[in-house]
Amino acid sequence: MEQDLVSVDGKNSRAVLCQRCGCRVLSAGVATLAKRELLLPSMRKKSSLSESSSPDCELLAEHWLVHDMFTFENVGFTKDVGSIKYLVCADCEVGPIGWHSLEEKSNFYVALERVRHE
Amino acid sequence: MDSRPGYQRGSSNHLAYGGSASNSPALTGAQAARRRKQPPRPADFKLQVIIIGSRGVGKTSLMERFTDDTFCEACKSTVGVDFKIKTVELRGKKIRLQIWDTAGQERFNSITSAYYRSAKGIILVYDITKKETFEDLPKWMKMIDKYASEEAELLLVGNKLDCETDREITRQQGEKFAQQITGMRFCEASAKDNFNVDEIFLKLVDDILKKMPLDLVRSELSNSILSLQPEPEVPPELPPPRPPLRCC
Repeated sequence: MEQDLVSVDGKNSRAVLCQRCGCRVLSAGVATLAKRELLLPSMRKKSSLSESSSPDCELLAEHWLVHDMFTFENVGFTKDVGSIKYLVCADCEVGPIGWHSLEEKSNFYVALERVRHE
Repeated sequence: MDSRPGYQRGSSNHLAYGGSASNSPALTGAQAARRRKQPPRPADFKLQVIIIGSRGVGKTSLMERFTDDTFCEACKSTVGVDFKIKTVELRGKKIRLQIWDTAGQERFNSITSAYYRSAKGIILVYDITKKETFEDLPKWMKMIDKYASEEAELLLVGNKLDCETDREITRQQGEKFAQQITGMRFCEASAKDNFNVDEIFLKLVDDILKKMPLDLVRSELSNSILSLQPEPEVPPELPPPRPPLRCC
């Protein structure tokens, strides 16, 4: 699956879309594949972000990485959760689909498992 | 997004306004040349738009497309969205909007001036079914006069057109208010059924682009974007208030 999604230059060969509404998150060829274990709250449970005591999270390892927020076609940034801003779909707000740490100003990650590819 | 457009403390004791300086129409040739040297960006233009208005007028709904409530309520994050990046195409140009919704910060003086300073477009919203939200408009205009760039495009939106039977403010009242402010546009909309919502953003962007000298646009707009740095607690010195009648 991975080979199919990554072009020879290491970029995303296909556009990245919201799984639910199809809203375009990233155009093809703008993001690089990054392997990094990041903890994202579950997409299924509404309470996962608010109940900090036992957040229902998933560890995700494969992400599309961009270094400028204006590389995104459409995306929403949540309010800060600690030093993290989660990324959500700009149209239907489903998410989190990605991760951004305020401590790493120029890294914006979108989890491959949380999006679909055109 | 590397540097905050807010203010930078210079060596002297005055504060330089990054955002408003770049808005100045009296840009010197040297400044313009320096800006043109910046590397090109994937989007043609970048604009910051803020949505303001009293509590409950539907600012957040204007920022999102109307979608199936049941699914959304179950799945969307509970922490709330801070801002969005949205891309629109207009006149063959690709424009990235950074849209800030100021919900939750409705007390007039609590919104940081940085939001206003770097905004190229300001959408001021009231609820056509709630008279008090219309009566609050002059107070919001005071905030705009105090903090926003004089060149920011203003759009007044009477929201909740879907609740026509509960209307308290006529369309004419809204129009009349907007007419008193030079350059302010007016429309009514319904975020609930998505009536006029996309049009609102396109109209505002179109007005902003029409005003801009093309060779400046690219770099100037990238300078105007707010980064994610928290705004300092101490407010900077205020720029002089702008005259009540805006010059076009």
